[in-house]
Amino acid sequence: MIASGPIPVRIHEIEQLSPTLKRFAFAPLHGGPLPTPSAGAHVLVTLRHEGRVMKNAYSLVSPPESRARYEIIVRHVAQSRGGSRFLHQSVARGDVIEIGVPGNLFPLAAKARKHLLIAGGIGITPLLSYVPALKARGARFELHQLCTADEAPVFEKLLAPHAAGEDIFIHGNGRAAFDLAGILARQPLGTHVYTCGPRALMDAVITSAVALGWPSGKIHRESFGDASGGLPFKAVLAKSGIEIQVADNQTLLEALEAQGIAAPCLCRGGACGECKLDVLDGEVEHRDDFLSAEEKASQKFMMPCVSRARTAQVVLDF
Amino acid sequence: MSDQGIKSRPKYAPLELDPAGRHHLLLVEGPALPAEALAEGFEPTAFETWTVVNRSALLPVSVVDTQGESVRPFRANGHLFSALEERLARETMGLRLYAIGSEPFLWDVFRIADKAGMSRQEIRLAHAGSKARRVFCVHCRTYGEGVTTSIFTCGGCGANLFVRDHFSRRHAAFMGVQVDAEVPGAVPDAEELYA
Repeated sequence: MIASGPIPVRIHEIEQLSPTLKRFAFAPLHGGPLPTPSAGAHVLVTLRHEGRVMKNAYSLVSPPESRARYEIIVRHVAQSRGGSRFLHQSVARGDVIEIGVPGNLFPLAAKARKHLLIAGGIGITPLLSYVPALKARGARFELHQLCTADEAPVFEKLLAPHAAGEDIFIHGNGRAAFDLAGILARQPLGTHVYTCGPRALMDAVITSAVALGWPSGKIHRESFGDASGGLPFKAVLAKSGIEIQVADNQTLLEALEAQGIAAPCLCRGGACGECKLDVLDGEVEHRDDFLSAEEKASQKFMMPCVSRARTAQVVLDF
Repeated sequence: MSDQGIKSRPKYAPLELDPAGRHHLLLVEGPALPAEALAEGFEPTAFETWTVVNRSALLPVSVVDTQGESVRPFRANGHLFSALEERLARETMGLRLYAIGSEPFLWDVFRIADKAGMSRQEIRLAHAGSKARRVFCVHCRTYGEGVTTSIFTCGGCGANLFVRDHFSRRHAAFMGVQVDAEVPGAVPDAEELYA
Protein backbone atom coordinates (compact mmCIF):
# COMPACT_ATOMS: atom_id res chain seq x y z
CA MET A 1 0.00 0.00 0.00
CA ILE A 2 1.20 3.48 -0.76
CA ALA A 3 0.62 5.72 2.23
CA SER A 4 -1.17 9.01 1.66
CA GLY A 5 -1.76 11.92 3.94
CA PRO A 6 -2.63 13.78 5.96
CA ILE A 7 -1.48 12.16 9.19
CA PRO A 8 -2.76 13.60 12.49
CA VAL A 9 0.04 13.75 15.06
CA ARG A 10 0.34 14.94 18.62
CA ILE A 11 3.13 17.27 19.72
CA HIS A 12 4.97 14.88 21.96
CA GLU A 13 7.83 17.08 23.05
CA ILE A 14 9.18 20.59 22.47
CA GLU A 15 12.80 21.38 23.25
CA GLN A 16 14.26 24.87 23.16
CA LEU A 17 17.71 24.38 21.60
CA SER A 18 18.68 28.05 21.43
CA PRO A 19 16.85 31.38 21.63
CA THR A 20 15.59 30.90 18.06
CA LEU A 21 15.66 27.12 17.59
CA LYS A 22 13.10 24.61 18.80
CA ARG A 23 12.93 20.89 18.27
CA PHE A 24 9.44 19.39 17.94
CA ALA A 25 8.73 15.68 18.28
CA PHE A 26 5.52 14.32 16.73
CA ALA A 27 3.88 11.05 17.73
CA PRO A 28 1.06 9.46 15.70
CA LEU A 29 -2.33 10.39 17.19
CA HIS A 30 -3.90 7.00 16.48
CA GLY A 31 -0.89 4.86 17.38
CA GLY A 32 0.92 2.53 15.04
CA PRO A 33 4.13 3.33 13.26
CA LEU A 34 4.54 6.39 11.04
CA PRO A 35 5.54 5.81 7.40
CA THR A 36 9.22 5.01 6.87
CA PRO A 37 11.03 8.12 5.71
CA SER A 38 14.30 7.94 3.76
CA ALA A 39 17.37 9.91 4.78
CA GLY A 40 16.94 13.54 3.71
CA ALA A 41 13.13 13.39 3.74
CA HIS A 42 10.83 16.25 4.68
CA VAL A 43 7.22 16.53 5.78
CA LEU A 44 4.68 19.24 5.07
CA VAL A 45 3.28 20.54 8.34
CA THR A 46 -0.18 22.10 8.13
CA LEU A 47 -0.37 25.26 10.20
CA ARG A 48 -3.72 26.90 10.85
CA HIS A 49 -3.34 30.36 12.22
CA GLU A 50 -5.63 33.38 12.25
CA GLY A 51 -7.84 31.99 9.50
CA ARG A 52 -4.92 31.17 7.25
CA VAL A 53 -3.73 27.71 6.29
CA MET A 54 -0.06 27.24 5.57
CA LYS A 55 1.76 24.07 4.67
CA ASN A 56 5.43 24.43 5.43
CA ALA A 57 8.08 21.84 4.58
CA TYR A 58 10.51 20.79 7.30
CA SER A 59 13.28 18.21 7.05
CA LEU A 60 13.00 15.28 9.43
CA VAL A 61 15.98 15.26 11.78
CA SER A 62 15.10 11.95 13.40
CA PRO A 63 16.95 8.87 12.10
CA PRO A 64 15.19 7.20 9.13
CA GLU A 65 14.36 4.10 11.18
CA SER A 66 12.47 6.17 13.75
CA ARG A 67 8.80 5.39 13.12
CA ALA A 68 7.40 5.95 16.60
CA ARG A 69 8.11 9.65 16.32
CA TYR A 70 9.31 12.23 13.84
CA GLU A 71 11.37 15.23 14.82
CA ILE A 72 11.85 18.59 13.13
CA ILE A 73 13.87 21.65 14.12
CA VAL A 74 12.41 25.07 13.38
CA ARG A 75 14.17 28.42 13.42
CA HIS A 76 12.01 31.37 14.52
CA VAL A 77 12.48 33.89 11.73
CA ALA A 78 11.32 37.40 12.53
CA GLN A 79 10.45 38.34 8.93
CA SER A 80 8.81 34.99 8.13
CA ARG A 81 5.26 34.76 6.83
CA GLY A 82 4.15 33.43 10.16
CA GLY A 83 4.81 29.69 9.99
CA SER A 84 7.83 29.61 12.25
CA ARG A 85 6.34 32.23 14.59
CA PHE A 86 3.20 30.14 14.91
CA LEU A 87 5.19 26.99 15.70
CA HIS A 88 7.37 28.84 18.19
CA GLN A 89 4.68 30.83 19.97
CA SER A 90 1.33 29.12 19.57
CA VAL A 91 2.01 25.39 19.54
CA ALA A 92 2.21 23.55 22.85
CA ARG A 93 2.93 20.03 23.98
CA GLY A 94 -0.15 17.84 23.50
CA ASP A 95 -1.55 19.85 20.58
CA VAL A 96 -2.72 17.93 17.52
CA ILE A 97 -1.60 19.02 14.07
CA GLU A 98 -1.54 17.46 10.63
CA ILE A 99 1.50 16.43 8.66
CA GLY A 100 1.86 14.90 5.21
CA VAL A 101 3.54 11.65 4.25
CA PRO A 102 7.31 12.18 4.04
CA GLY A 103 8.68 13.16 0.65
CA ASN A 104 12.29 13.30 -0.37
CA LEU A 105 13.84 15.67 -2.89
CA PHE A 106 17.28 15.37 -1.30
CA PRO A 107 18.08 11.66 -1.21
CA LEU A 108 21.52 10.14 -0.74
CA ALA A 109 23.20 8.92 -3.94
CA ALA A 110 23.44 5.15 -3.73
CA LYS A 111 26.57 4.88 -5.88
CA ALA A 112 28.62 7.57 -4.17
CA ARG A 113 32.03 6.42 -2.95
CA LYS A 114 32.11 9.30 -0.50
CA HIS A 115 29.58 11.86 0.69
CA LEU A 116 30.67 15.47 1.31
CA LEU A 117 28.06 17.33 3.36
CA ILE A 118 28.15 21.14 3.64
CA ALA A 119 25.50 22.94 5.68
CA GLY A 120 24.97 26.50 6.81
CA GLY A 121 23.05 27.29 9.99
CA ILE A 122 19.75 25.48 10.30
CA GLY A 123 20.46 23.89 6.88
CA ILE A 124 21.98 21.10 8.98
CA THR A 125 18.51 19.57 9.43
CA PRO A 126 18.41 17.10 6.49
CA LEU A 127 22.01 16.12 7.24
CA LEU A 128 21.00 15.10 10.74
CA SER A 129 19.05 12.23 9.19
CA TYR A 130 21.86 11.50 6.72
CA VAL A 131 24.56 10.91 9.30
CA PRO A 132 23.04 7.91 11.12
CA ALA A 133 22.05 6.38 7.76
CA LEU A 134 25.58 6.80 6.41
CA LYS A 135 27.10 5.37 9.57
CA ALA A 136 24.75 2.38 9.41
CA ARG A 137 25.89 1.72 5.83
CA GLY A 138 29.53 2.11 6.75
CA ALA A 139 29.71 4.84 4.09
CA ARG A 140 32.56 7.31 3.97
CA PHE A 141 31.52 10.91 4.66
CA GLU A 142 32.81 14.32 5.68
CA LEU A 143 30.54 16.98 7.20
CA HIS A 144 31.17 20.71 7.43
CA GLN A 145 28.75 22.85 9.41
CA LEU A 146 29.06 26.63 9.03
CA CYS A 147 27.47 28.83 11.64
CA THR A 148 27.93 31.89 13.82
CA ALA A 149 30.25 31.64 16.80
CA ASP A 150 27.41 31.87 19.32
CA GLU A 151 25.50 29.01 17.72
CA ALA A 152 28.50 26.68 17.37
CA PRO A 153 27.79 24.98 20.74
CA VAL A 154 24.19 24.28 19.65
CA PHE A 155 25.31 22.45 16.52
CA GLU A 156 28.14 20.73 18.37
CA LYS A 157 25.55 19.31 20.74
CA LEU A 158 23.25 18.22 17.91
CA LEU A 159 26.08 16.43 16.13
CA ALA A 160 27.77 15.08 19.26
CA PRO A 161 25.89 11.74 19.28
CA HIS A 162 27.35 10.99 15.82
CA ALA A 163 30.69 12.72 16.03
CA ALA A 164 33.01 10.18 17.63
CA GLY A 165 35.71 9.13 15.19
CA GLU A 166 34.02 10.87 12.25
CA ASP A 167 35.06 13.68 9.93
CA ILE A 168 32.61 16.21 11.36
CA PHE A 169 33.77 19.83 11.45
CA ILE A 170 31.98 22.86 12.86
CA HIS A 171 33.12 26.22 11.53
CA GLY A 172 31.97 28.81 14.04
CA ASN A 173 33.30 31.75 12.06
CA GLY A 174 31.06 31.19 9.07
CA ARG A 175 32.52 31.24 5.60
CA ALA A 176 35.39 33.61 6.31
CA ALA A 177 37.79 30.90 7.48
CA PHE A 178 36.23 28.09 5.45
CA ASP A 179 38.38 26.84 2.56
CA LEU A 180 35.52 25.71 0.33
CA ALA A 181 37.58 25.40 -2.89
CA GLY A 182 40.34 23.53 -1.09
CA ILE A 183 37.89 21.02 0.36
CA LEU A 184 36.17 20.46 -2.98
CA ALA A 185 39.50 20.16 -4.83
CA ARG A 186 40.84 17.33 -2.68
CA GLN A 187 37.82 15.03 -2.76
CA PRO A 188 38.42 11.55 -4.20
CA LEU A 189 36.83 10.40 -7.43
CA GLY A 190 33.27 9.26 -6.89
CA THR A 191 32.41 11.85 -4.23
CA HIS A 192 28.97 13.45 -4.17
CA VAL A 193 28.50 16.84 -2.52
CA TYR A 194 25.28 17.85 -0.75
CA THR A 195 24.56 21.36 0.43
CA CYS A 196 21.76 22.92 2.43
CA GLY A 197 21.62 26.35 3.95
CA PRO A 198 21.51 30.00 2.94
CA ARG A 199 21.23 30.55 -0.79
CA ALA A 200 24.60 32.33 -0.95
CA LEU A 201 26.35 29.32 0.57
CA MET A 202 24.60 26.82 -1.72
CA ASP A 203 25.40 28.98 -4.76
CA ALA A 204 29.06 29.16 -3.67
CA VAL A 205 29.26 25.38 -3.27
CA ILE A 206 27.72 24.79 -6.70
CA THR A 207 29.81 27.44 -8.47
CA SER A 208 33.07 26.23 -6.90
CA ALA A 209 32.32 22.56 -7.59
CA VAL A 210 31.46 23.22 -11.24
CA ALA A 211 34.62 25.31 -11.65
CA LEU A 212 36.64 22.39 -10.27
CA GLY A 213 35.15 19.98 -12.78
CA TRP A 214 32.47 18.30 -10.68
CA PRO A 215 29.69 16.95 -12.92
CA SER A 216 26.20 18.29 -12.21
CA GLY A 217 24.97 14.80 -11.31
CA LYS A 218 27.22 14.74 -8.25
CA ILE A 219 26.14 18.11 -6.87
CA HIS A 220 22.98 18.08 -4.74
CA ARG A 221 21.23 21.00 -3.10
CA GLU A 222 18.29 21.01 -0.76
CA SER A 223 16.00 23.83 -1.46
CA PHE A 224 12.86 25.03 0.16
CA GLY A 225 12.73 28.01 -2.17
CA ASP A 226 11.96 31.48 -1.00
CA ALA A 227 8.37 31.84 0.13
CA SER A 228 9.11 34.90 2.22
CA GLY A 229 6.30 37.01 0.83
CA GLY A 230 6.33 40.22 -1.18
CA LEU A 231 4.01 42.72 -2.78
CA PRO A 232 0.36 41.68 -3.16
CA PHE A 233 -0.81 40.90 -6.70
CA LYS A 234 -3.78 39.57 -8.61
CA ALA A 235 -3.85 36.21 -10.40
CA VAL A 236 -6.37 35.70 -13.20
CA LEU A 237 -7.21 32.10 -14.04
CA ALA A 238 -7.95 32.23 -17.77
CA LYS A 239 -9.84 28.95 -18.02
CA SER A 240 -12.36 29.70 -15.28
CA GLY A 241 -12.22 33.49 -15.28
CA ILE A 242 -11.60 33.44 -11.52
CA GLU A 243 -9.58 36.33 -10.14
CA ILE A 244 -7.58 35.77 -6.99
CA GLN A 245 -5.94 38.31 -4.73
CA VAL A 246 -2.62 37.16 -3.31
CA ALA A 247 -1.78 38.88 -0.03
CA ASP A 248 1.70 40.10 0.85
CA ASN A 249 2.28 37.26 3.32
CA GLN A 250 0.69 34.54 1.21
CA THR A 251 1.90 32.46 -1.70
CA LEU A 252 -0.09 32.11 -4.91
CA LEU A 253 -0.50 28.41 -4.12
CA GLU A 254 -1.94 29.22 -0.69
CA ALA A 255 -4.27 31.81 -2.24
CA LEU A 256 -5.53 29.21 -4.73
CA GLU A 257 -6.11 26.71 -1.93
CA ALA A 258 -7.87 29.34 0.17
CA GLN A 259 -10.39 29.61 -2.71
CA GLY A 260 -10.91 25.86 -2.59
CA ILE A 261 -8.97 25.27 -5.81
CA ALA A 262 -7.04 21.99 -5.72
CA ALA A 263 -3.86 23.09 -7.45
CA PRO A 264 -1.22 20.41 -7.98
CA CYS A 265 1.71 20.62 -5.60
CA LEU A 266 4.25 18.43 -3.87
CA CYS A 267 7.25 20.08 -2.20
CA ARG A 268 5.83 23.62 -1.84
CA GLY A 269 9.39 24.87 -2.00
CA GLY A 270 10.14 25.46 -5.67
CA ALA A 271 12.15 22.30 -6.06
CA CYS A 272 10.01 19.50 -7.46
CA GLY A 273 8.19 21.10 -10.39
CA GLU A 274 4.82 19.54 -9.64
CA CYS A 275 2.93 22.86 -9.41
CA LYS A 276 4.24 24.44 -12.64
CA LEU A 277 1.64 26.68 -14.30
CA ASP A 278 1.63 28.23 -17.78
CA VAL A 279 1.73 32.02 -17.81
CA LEU A 280 -0.22 33.87 -20.51
CA ASP A 281 0.43 37.44 -19.44
CA GLY A 282 2.27 39.38 -16.78
CA GLU A 283 5.81 39.25 -15.49
CA VAL A 284 6.96 36.70 -12.91
CA GLU A 285 9.52 37.14 -10.17
CA HIS A 286 10.97 33.63 -10.17
CA ARG A 287 12.05 32.26 -6.80
CA ASP A 288 12.25 28.56 -7.59
CA ASP A 289 15.13 26.17 -8.28
CA PHE A 290 13.22 24.05 -10.76
CA LEU A 291 12.91 26.09 -13.96
CA SER A 292 16.02 26.52 -16.08
CA ALA A 293 17.43 30.00 -16.69
CA GLU A 294 15.96 29.88 -20.22
CA GLU A 295 12.52 28.90 -18.95
CA LYS A 296 12.59 31.70 -16.40
CA ALA A 297 13.62 34.24 -19.02
CA SER A 298 10.83 33.09 -21.34
CA GLN A 299 8.25 34.22 -18.73
CA LYS A 300 6.01 31.36 -19.91
CA PHE A 301 5.99 29.37 -16.68
CA MET A 302 5.56 29.97 -12.98
CA MET A 303 5.91 27.94 -9.81
CA PRO A 304 3.03 29.22 -7.62
CA CYS A 305 4.42 27.71 -4.42
CA VAL A 306 7.21 30.30 -4.20
CA SER A 307 7.18 32.70 -7.15
CA ARG A 308 5.21 35.93 -7.33
CA ALA A 309 4.08 38.42 -9.96
CA ARG A 310 6.31 41.41 -10.56
CA THR A 311 3.43 43.13 -12.35
CA ALA A 312 0.16 44.00 -10.62
CA GLN A 313 -1.49 41.06 -12.32
CA VAL A 314 -0.54 37.74 -13.85
CA VAL A 315 -2.77 35.70 -16.18
CA LEU A 316 -2.45 31.93 -15.89
CA ASP A 317 -3.57 29.17 -18.25
CA PHE A 318 -5.31 27.35 -15.43
CA MET B 1 19.90 -10.68 -39.39
CA SER B 2 22.34 -7.84 -38.78
CA ASP B 3 19.56 -5.48 -37.66
CA GLN B 4 17.76 -7.29 -34.90
CA GLY B 5 15.63 -4.29 -33.94
CA ILE B 6 17.35 -3.85 -30.59
CA LYS B 7 17.55 -0.14 -29.87
CA SER B 8 19.43 -0.21 -26.57
CA ARG B 9 22.86 -0.70 -28.09
CA PRO B 10 25.36 1.98 -27.11
CA LYS B 11 25.91 4.67 -29.69
CA TYR B 12 29.26 6.33 -30.16
CA ALA B 13 30.42 9.65 -31.53
CA PRO B 14 33.86 11.09 -32.28
CA LEU B 15 35.50 12.34 -29.10
CA GLU B 16 35.09 15.94 -28.09
CA LEU B 17 36.89 17.58 -25.22
CA ASP B 18 34.73 18.23 -22.16
CA PRO B 19 35.85 21.73 -21.19
CA ALA B 20 34.22 21.35 -17.76
CA GLY B 21 36.90 18.85 -16.72
CA ARG B 22 39.87 19.92 -14.61
CA HIS B 23 42.17 17.13 -15.81
CA HIS B 24 41.86 14.64 -18.63
CA LEU B 25 43.12 11.14 -19.40
CA LEU B 26 42.86 9.53 -22.84
CA LEU B 27 43.08 5.75 -23.28
CA VAL B 28 43.70 4.29 -26.74
CA GLU B 29 43.47 0.61 -27.61
CA GLY B 30 46.25 0.68 -30.15
CA PRO B 31 49.63 2.28 -30.71
CA ALA B 32 48.30 5.40 -32.44
CA LEU B 33 45.26 7.65 -32.46
CA PRO B 34 42.68 6.80 -35.12
CA ALA B 35 41.75 10.14 -36.68
CA GLU B 36 38.14 9.07 -37.32
CA ALA B 37 37.52 8.73 -33.57
CA LEU B 38 38.32 12.38 -32.90
CA ALA B 39 36.00 15.30 -33.48
CA GLU B 40 37.37 18.33 -35.25
CA GLY B 41 39.32 20.53 -32.91
CA PHE B 42 40.05 17.72 -30.44
CA GLU B 43 43.72 18.13 -29.54
CA PRO B 44 44.81 14.93 -27.79
CA THR B 45 48.37 16.17 -27.43
CA ALA B 46 46.98 18.62 -24.91
CA PHE B 47 46.69 15.90 -22.27
CA GLU B 48 47.96 12.64 -20.94
CA THR B 49 47.50 9.65 -23.22
CA TRP B 50 47.84 5.95 -22.54
CA THR B 51 48.18 3.55 -25.47
CA VAL B 52 48.22 -0.22 -25.93
CA VAL B 53 50.94 -1.36 -28.31
CA ASN B 54 50.53 -5.15 -28.00
CA ARG B 55 54.25 -5.74 -28.10
CA SER B 56 56.46 -7.57 -25.65
CA ALA B 57 59.50 -5.45 -26.38
CA LEU B 58 60.67 -3.53 -23.33
CA LEU B 59 59.11 -0.11 -23.41
CA PRO B 60 60.21 3.09 -21.80
CA VAL B 61 57.96 4.09 -18.88
CA SER B 62 56.84 7.18 -20.65
CA VAL B 63 57.48 8.80 -23.95
CA VAL B 64 57.34 12.55 -24.06
CA ASP B 65 55.93 13.82 -27.29
CA THR B 66 56.67 17.07 -29.01
CA GLN B 67 53.97 18.94 -27.08
CA GLY B 68 55.57 18.04 -23.78
CA GLU B 69 52.69 15.87 -22.61
CA SER B 70 53.35 12.25 -21.81
CA VAL B 71 52.29 9.26 -23.84
CA ARG B 72 52.50 6.07 -21.82
CA PRO B 73 52.51 2.82 -23.79
CA PHE B 74 51.29 -0.47 -22.33
CA ARG B 75 52.07 -3.98 -23.49
CA ALA B 76 48.42 -5.12 -23.53
CA ASN B 77 44.90 -4.18 -22.46
CA GLY B 78 45.19 -5.97 -19.11
CA HIS B 79 48.39 -4.09 -18.37
CA LEU B 80 46.61 -0.77 -18.97
CA PHE B 81 43.52 -1.80 -16.99
CA SER B 82 45.45 -2.61 -13.82
CA ALA B 83 47.35 0.68 -14.06
CA LEU B 84 44.02 2.46 -14.57
CA GLU B 85 42.55 0.93 -11.41
CA GLU B 86 45.51 2.13 -9.39
CA ARG B 87 45.42 5.55 -10.99
CA LEU B 88 41.67 6.13 -10.41
CA ALA B 89 42.00 5.10 -6.77
CA ARG B 90 44.32 8.10 -6.30
CA GLU B 91 42.42 10.59 -8.47
CA THR B 92 40.41 13.56 -7.25
CA MET B 93 37.14 14.98 -8.54
CA GLY B 94 37.37 16.85 -11.81
CA LEU B 95 38.83 14.06 -13.96
CA ARG B 96 37.41 13.29 -17.39
CA LEU B 97 38.18 9.94 -18.94
CA TYR B 98 38.19 9.31 -22.69
CA ALA B 99 38.60 5.94 -24.38
CA ILE B 100 39.02 4.92 -28.01
CA GLY B 101 38.92 1.32 -29.15
CA SER B 102 36.81 -1.78 -29.67
CA GLU B 103 33.57 -2.21 -27.75
CA PRO B 104 35.00 -4.74 -25.25
CA PHE B 105 37.86 -2.34 -24.51
CA LEU B 106 35.54 0.67 -24.09
CA TRP B 107 33.23 -1.10 -21.70
CA ASP B 108 36.02 -2.72 -19.73
CA VAL B 109 37.30 0.83 -19.20
CA PHE B 110 33.78 1.95 -18.29
CA ARG B 111 33.41 -0.82 -15.75
CA ILE B 112 36.69 0.08 -14.05
CA ALA B 113 35.72 3.76 -14.00
CA ASP B 114 32.24 2.98 -12.68
CA LYS B 115 33.75 0.93 -9.89
CA ALA B 116 35.94 3.92 -9.03
CA GLY B 117 32.79 6.06 -8.71
CA MET B 118 32.82 7.82 -12.09
CA SER B 119 29.50 8.54 -13.80
CA ARG B 120 28.45 8.73 -17.43
CA GLN B 121 28.93 12.49 -17.29
CA GLU B 122 32.65 11.99 -16.69
CA ILE B 123 33.40 9.33 -19.33
CA ARG B 124 33.42 9.62 -23.13
CA LEU B 125 33.78 6.60 -25.37
CA ALA B 126 34.52 6.40 -29.10
CA HIS B 127 34.40 3.16 -31.06
CA ALA B 128 37.28 2.53 -33.46
CA GLY B 129 38.84 -0.46 -35.13
CA SER B 130 37.44 -3.97 -35.12
CA LYS B 131 33.72 -4.66 -34.76
CA ALA B 132 34.48 -8.13 -33.39
CA ARG B 133 32.31 -8.93 -30.40
CA ARG B 134 32.81 -10.32 -26.97
CA VAL B 135 29.94 -12.75 -26.43
CA PHE B 136 28.57 -13.88 -23.10
CA CYS B 137 27.01 -17.33 -23.08
CA VAL B 138 23.79 -16.86 -21.10
CA HIS B 139 23.74 -20.59 -20.34
CA CYS B 140 27.20 -21.27 -18.90
CA ARG B 141 28.46 -17.66 -18.40
CA THR B 142 31.61 -18.13 -20.43
CA TYR B 143 32.90 -15.22 -22.48
CA GLY B 144 33.96 -15.71 -26.07
CA GLU B 145 36.33 -13.11 -27.52
CA GLY B 146 36.74 -11.77 -31.03
CA VAL B 147 33.52 -13.21 -32.43
CA THR B 148 32.87 -12.05 -36.00
CA THR B 149 30.07 -14.42 -37.00
CA SER B 150 26.31 -14.59 -36.40
CA ILE B 151 26.63 -18.06 -34.83
CA PHE B 152 29.57 -19.36 -32.86
CA THR B 153 30.38 -22.28 -30.61
CA CYS B 154 30.68 -21.51 -26.92
CA GLY B 155 34.12 -22.35 -25.58
CA GLY B 156 32.61 -23.22 -22.21
CA CYS B 157 29.67 -25.55 -22.88
CA GLY B 158 29.93 -26.17 -26.60
CA ALA B 159 26.48 -24.72 -27.32
CA ASN B 160 25.83 -23.21 -30.74
CA LEU B 161 25.14 -19.59 -29.79
CA PHE B 162 23.24 -17.01 -31.78
CA VAL B 163 24.94 -13.63 -31.20
CA ARG B 164 22.23 -11.16 -30.27
CA ASP B 165 22.49 -7.38 -30.62
CA HIS B 166 21.61 -7.21 -26.94
CA PHE B 167 24.67 -5.57 -25.40
CA SER B 168 25.29 -5.70 -21.66
CA ARG B 169 27.24 -2.71 -20.40
CA ARG B 170 27.89 -4.58 -17.17
CA HIS B 171 29.44 -7.57 -18.92
CA ALA B 172 30.90 -5.44 -21.73
CA ALA B 173 29.58 -8.20 -23.98
CA PHE B 174 26.82 -9.22 -26.36
CA MET B 175 24.45 -11.95 -25.26
CA GLY B 176 24.75 -15.37 -26.90
CA VAL B 177 21.78 -17.77 -26.73
CA GLN B 178 21.56 -21.37 -27.89
CA VAL B 179 20.25 -21.34 -31.44
CA ASP B 180 19.19 -25.02 -31.62
CA ALA B 181 17.51 -25.35 -28.24
CA GLU B 182 14.20 -26.55 -29.71
CA VAL B 183 15.54 -28.73 -32.53
CA PRO B 184 18.99 -29.94 -31.46
CA GLY B 185 21.38 -29.88 -34.37
CA ALA B 186 19.32 -27.46 -36.48
CA VAL B 187 22.04 -24.83 -36.66
CA PRO B 188 21.87 -22.18 -39.41
CA ASP B 189 25.04 -21.36 -41.32
CA ALA B 190 27.19 -18.80 -39.60
CA GLU B 191 27.44 -15.49 -41.43
CA GLU B 192 30.49 -13.27 -41.20
CA LEU B 193 29.00 -10.01 -39.86
CA TYR B 194 31.28 -8.37 -37.32
CA ALA B 195 34.69 -8.15 -38.94
